[in-house]
Amino acid sequence: MINIIINEWKGLFRNKIFFILSLFFFISLIICSLFGNIQNNEQNLAQKKAQEHIRLQWDEMEPSNPHSAAHYGTYAFKPVSILNSLDEGINSVTGNVLRLEGHRQNNMVFSEVSQSLQVSNFGKLNPALIFQIIIPLFLIFLSFNSYALEKSSGRIKLLLIQGVSLGRIIFSKILSLWLIAIFLLITTIIIQIVFNKSQFDLDTLFRLSLFFVSYSFYFYVIVGLTFIFSIVAKNNTWALSLTILIWISWTTFLPSVIVNISDEIIPLTTRIEFNKSLSKDRSKGIDGHNPRGDRKEALENATLKKYNVKKIEDLPVNFSGILMQADEEYGNMVWDKHFGNLCNQLKAQKFFYQISGVVNPFISLQNLSMGVSGTDIHHHIDFLNHAEKYRRLFIKSLNDEYAFGGSKTGERGWKATNDFFRSIKKFQYHPPNFYSFHSKYIIDFLVLSFWVLSIITIIYFITRKKLVL
Amino acid sequence: MKLLNIIIYELRHFVRSKSKLYSYLFFVFTCCYSIHIGFSLYNSQNSNIKSLQEMENENISQVIKWFKTGEKGPKEKDWVDITDPYWSLRYTPKYVVKNPSPLMPLGLGQSEQYGYHKKITIWSSPYDSDVIEEISNYERFINGNIDFSFLIIFLLPLLVIIFTYNINGLEKDLNFDKLIAVQTGSLKYWVIGRLIFYWIILVSTINIFILSVFYLNNVNINDGFDLIKLSNLYVTVFFIAFYYVIMSSSSSTVIAFKMISIWLFLCVLIPGSVHQYISLKYPPNFMTDFLDANRKETYAVFKLPKEELYRQMLSIYADLDTTKQGLDSLINTKITRNTMSCIVNQINVQAINIIEEQNNFKNNLIRSTYWFNPISYFQNKWNKLTSTDYYAYKDFRDDIQLVTNKKLKILAFECWNERTVNLNLYNEYLKKLHSYNSSPNLEMITYEAIK
Repeated sequence: MINIIINEWKGLFRNKIFFILSLFFFISLIICSLFGNIQNNEQNLAQKKAQEHIRLQWDEMEPSNPHSAAHYGTYAFKPVSILNSLDEGINSVTGNVLRLEGHRQNNMVFSEVSQSLQVSNFGKLNPALIFQIIIPLFLIFLSFNSYALEKSSGRIKLLLIQGVSLGRIIFSKILSLWLIAIFLLITTIIIQIVFNKSQFDLDTLFRLSLFFVSYSFYFYVIVGLTFIFSIVAKNNTWALSLTILIWISWTTFLPSVIVNISDEIIPLTTRIEFNKSLSKDRSKGIDGHNPRGDRKEALENATLKKYNVKKIEDLPVNFSGILMQADEEYGNMVWDKHFGNLCNQLKAQKFFYQISGVVNPFISLQNLSMGVSGTDIHHHIDFLNHAEKYRRLFIKSLNDEYAFGGSKTGERGWKATNDFFRSIKKFQYHPPNFYSFHSKYIIDFLVLSFWVLSIITIIYFITRKKLVL
Repeated sequence: MKLLNIIIYELRHFVRSKSKLYSYLFFVFTCCYSIHIGFSLYNSQNSNIKSLQEMENENISQVIKWFKTGEKGPKEKDWVDITDPYWSLRYTPKYVVKNPSPLMPLGLGQSEQYGYHKKITIWSSPYDSDVIEEISNYERFINGNIDFSFLIIFLLPLLVIIFTYNINGLEKDLNFDKLIAVQTGSLKYWVIGRLIFYWIILVSTINIFILSVFYLNNVNINDGFDLIKLSNLYVTVFFIAFYYVIMSSSSSTVIAFKMISIWLFLCVLIPGSVHQYISLKYPPNFMTDFLDANRKETYAVFKLPKEELYRQMLSIYADLDTTKQGLDSLINTKITRNTMSCIVNQINVQAINIIEEQNNFKNNLIRSTYWFNPISYFQNKWNKLTSTDYYAYKDFRDDIQLVTNKKLKILAFECWNERTVNLNLYNEYLKKLHSYNSSPNLEMITYEAIK
């Protein structure tokens, strides 16, 4: 087997076009990884600077009313993960700034794609683009006539006479081409490690290992499938046409179609409807600024009872702060209901998309690639949830200070000190550990493994039945 | 051999070749599907705009009802007095919308990356967080929509490859090429004839689809003619490039390889590299200048003394000195505070200009790459024709700013003139605000209409 692989490589490296293309991909990957890392670092630096800039403004705040400070709010800037340079995923289409303030949950704004004319439909030239679209095509061109050439030159007969089985010959040929792609994959991973060695941890290494495994599975599927067509096809041209047609469908056509179908099967609410139902539900709660109704009365009575006083003015605390927090908590409940529904719809769409990997392994690869790079919808939702959690703590601290920090009901001009504002902890976000997310990607791994096993099985059977001599 | 004969032979070959015929039918089916998607988005945007307009009209009717019944505003908000211009303008809703172009079903472009409606308040700005894209699955964005422009720009060249890669290639594989040259007189002529057949099929298919959308959406052919020209030019360019590939290659495999490489370079590698380079040169902007204007500087305005507010208001609208408040020797705190959103707006405008300038640098850089990045040129040109490009949405942002400015100017002059609003005056406000009507196809409610 090793001899066949080495002979294959010798043959390939004698071919000038192959050599030039391999070199081209090798250099492209180095350049892409380098640029990707530079951009990543710059973006992270800009994110940190922006976060510090905003925090500084908070820390320098003069003594103010805590509720005014809640309106003043703060911002959360989405950081990019270390492996963003490998696969940018959805990061360029989501916004990167989120305003966190009292009474409301805002939308993320300022996505990269909205800041200019359209440039590329397939995204930036990063390792994921090369590995997902270009390298498979390269492998197809290398493998589509590999079997036919052996057959027409009569070399295959020679090998069979020497006692090597057809299956072994085909698997060796597949391995020889697959290992070339693996070499490019390893090169990229090494570059990634070298450029980011200071930031590397166990989780990143684990993610990189999964990145490696996913792509190696996919490359195996591509090479294996091309070999199957080349074995069963009437001629080379037919095999090439069919494989290219599949490549086109897998990489450009089916992902868009499937994602559109998922959108039709599980339709998302429109922003207008979402906002309408949010404000409708919210209006049933306590309006912290203009309180009225049964809920307000119940809260008032409960507070009076708790402090054993008869009038609001006699309370040792500021009832306005308590009201604001009650309003906030009701609003949070409403948000959890509606945003929760939306997230469930998004997750259902994602699940549908993942399942469709059964007909298109490219989808499983894409999901895994984004997932392990920390740039998919699950990671984005995690950031949003983290930011919302922080917003709630942030606003609660301010409302509590307003209620229990020393002011009494009606003291609208009461101000919290600068020390208090500085004491509120900063917003910090660390992308989740992959292990905590692993269940979301099991289906992709299973589907990709299913493809690999199916390809191996099909090759095993067709090479057993194929009559060569 | 006459050109017509070559075309007829190719037609026979095309009908008999299952792979080509099915690929073509598949393409036609996909075009229908893409136009269906385009129409879905077009209709959904129109229906959302209509519902906004209804909401706007309901709100206006409510205010008109208050005027007619002599109420000052909502019962639960006793501090609201709609006879005060400040409150009546706050209760005069205005939505600015970007109406989808009737050509939108032919290309969604960047439309899904931007918001298309905005409620204008006295604190509005085009970069508010409510001016963002429709709720959608972000993973759909990265795969791109199967819209008609995507099919033409990215998938059609692949269909051309399927149709043409074995022209002259198969003959070379089977060593028939010399025989063909002898039979037809000229190999070039024969190849051109065969290519013309496919060119005619594809160009007519595209044109039929484009004209169907024109018909369905009542688009004047002169308005959409540029789209026909652009698509036909695009297809022609690929045919010319592939002709040279066919003539210079030795076998169908080499032809296929070269054609796919051309597609890969033009559609994936070059735009991807340019995208990466632009991201390096102009990294994603966190827009801290705008955030500062929107928050820090805005809050600083809130803390300004009335004298400073007064001075700044006069620096924005010099004519305010002829108003009642301008001529008064005493500064009215309530009036200056009620109109300070004009100052905040001015701060926002300055910050936004910086953002737009930065985006413009980025766009100029993109445009400067068109000579070696033709796909981006075609894509943006197409998006421009279907009003779904960056600039179509910049115009929308400009409209938001325009209406905000208008509303604030009315606010400033009416408050400083200490006007008491009645139904007629309120109706005047409506007319002034809606003299700019971003959705002319939808009728705006007025007092006369209510009567």
